[in-house]
Amino acid sequence: MANPMEQFDVVTLHPLKAGTYDLSFTNSALWMLVALAIVSVFLFVGTSRPQLVPNRWQAAVEYVYDFVRKMLDENVGPEGRRFAPLVFSIFIFVLACNLLGLIPWVGAFTPTSHVTVTLGLALIVFITVCVVGFLRHGLHFFSLFWPHGASIPLGIFVFIIEVLSFLSRPFTLAIRLFANMTAGHVLLKVFGTFVIALGSFGALPYVFGVVPLAVNVALSALEVLIAVVQAYVFALLASLYLNDAINLH
Amino acid sequence: MPQFDFARVFWPQFVWLAVFFAVLYFVVVRSTLPKLGKVMGERDDKIAGDIEAARAAKAAADEVDARYHAELEVARENARHVIADAKTAGTKASEARLATAHDAAEAAIAAAEQRIAASVADAGAELRKVAAESAQQIVSRLTGIEASAEAARARVDAAMGA
Repeated sequence: MANPMEQFDVVTLHPLKAGTYDLSFTNSALWMLVALAIVSVFLFVGTSRPQLVPNRWQAAVEYVYDFVRKMLDENVGPEGRRFAPLVFSIFIFVLACNLLGLIPWVGAFTPTSHVTVTLGLALIVFITVCVVGFLRHGLHFFSLFWPHGASIPLGIFVFIIEVLSFLSRPFTLAIRLFANMTAGHVLLKVFGTFVIALGSFGALPYVFGVVPLAVNVALSALEVLIAVVQAYVFALLASLYLNDAINLH
Repeated sequence: MPQFDFARVFWPQFVWLAVFFAVLYFVVVRSTLPKLGKVMGERDDKIAGDIEAARAAKAAADEVDARYHAELEVARENARHVIADAKTAGTKASEARLATAHDAAEAAIAAAEQRIAASVADAGAELRKVAAESAQQIVSRLTGIEASAEAARARVDAAMGA
């Protein structure tokens, strides 16, 4: 039986070194590049000649863009629109990586199943939140962690908890996406091996493989859903964190 | 899990992610979305403007409609007045004509009655004269006495009761 973790192996396609750092072009980088290429085509074709009455491509891009803008309007308010390009980039990049990783047979790799990639994306959000927060509010940004109208000892206690929760945000954000993607792909792979194992049962070949195959079909649909939902959750949390930085609740 | 083999997987992925995301954000998104946002804004403005224009047109139409109804109401009121006036005028005129006709008829009746009375009186006088003369002649024939005309007249008047 194939190891279900094998699919997460990062394979070097073109070795590259910068000093002591290994910057090899890997299958992970390749699929990030594929995601970038597809998103670029989508965006460039969709906005090549923007018109008041959009064509199909433009309508598709607008749909996603409008979705992100509405999310920011609802969760951040009028100031949130400035961050629409950033949240849009994160959303569409995560979405593209999630969905491309589900393509069977082509040796697809899911970059978002790697905590390194998701942490990188989460850090973009986290650093943006910190920069925006300190630029807008200066040291007053720390009032985000102070409970309103609490006594000093309780306040200090809550302050410590709030700071820890704030600092853990990039990790929870990263781990949520990475864990979802990893779990889904492991599950698909495990049921895939069941198809082989049960389908090659000597006396009645193929028959028993149908059950795990059916499960895998259902799981694939579920994984597509999860791929979209997790991209949405990532972008939604990014906009909620931006709201903290902009409005200090 | 290969994901936690950071010594091997961290830098190659992290750096390429940074490169690709930077390209995505600074090159692709920054050069496409603002164009789209501008068009979407224009569209929203156009739709809002069109709706505003439609609302104004509807208000104007409503105003015209209200004015039309008001004018119609005024015209109807006027017509009602004209009809009522015509009715009263007609009634009055016919009543006046009826009254004059009535008066004329009364006058004609009175004149006729007078004429009848005069004729009756004439006829009576003639009758008495004839009767008196007849009586005079009858008396002279029967008795040979010449009765005076006055006496005969008095007798006739007494006999006829007047």
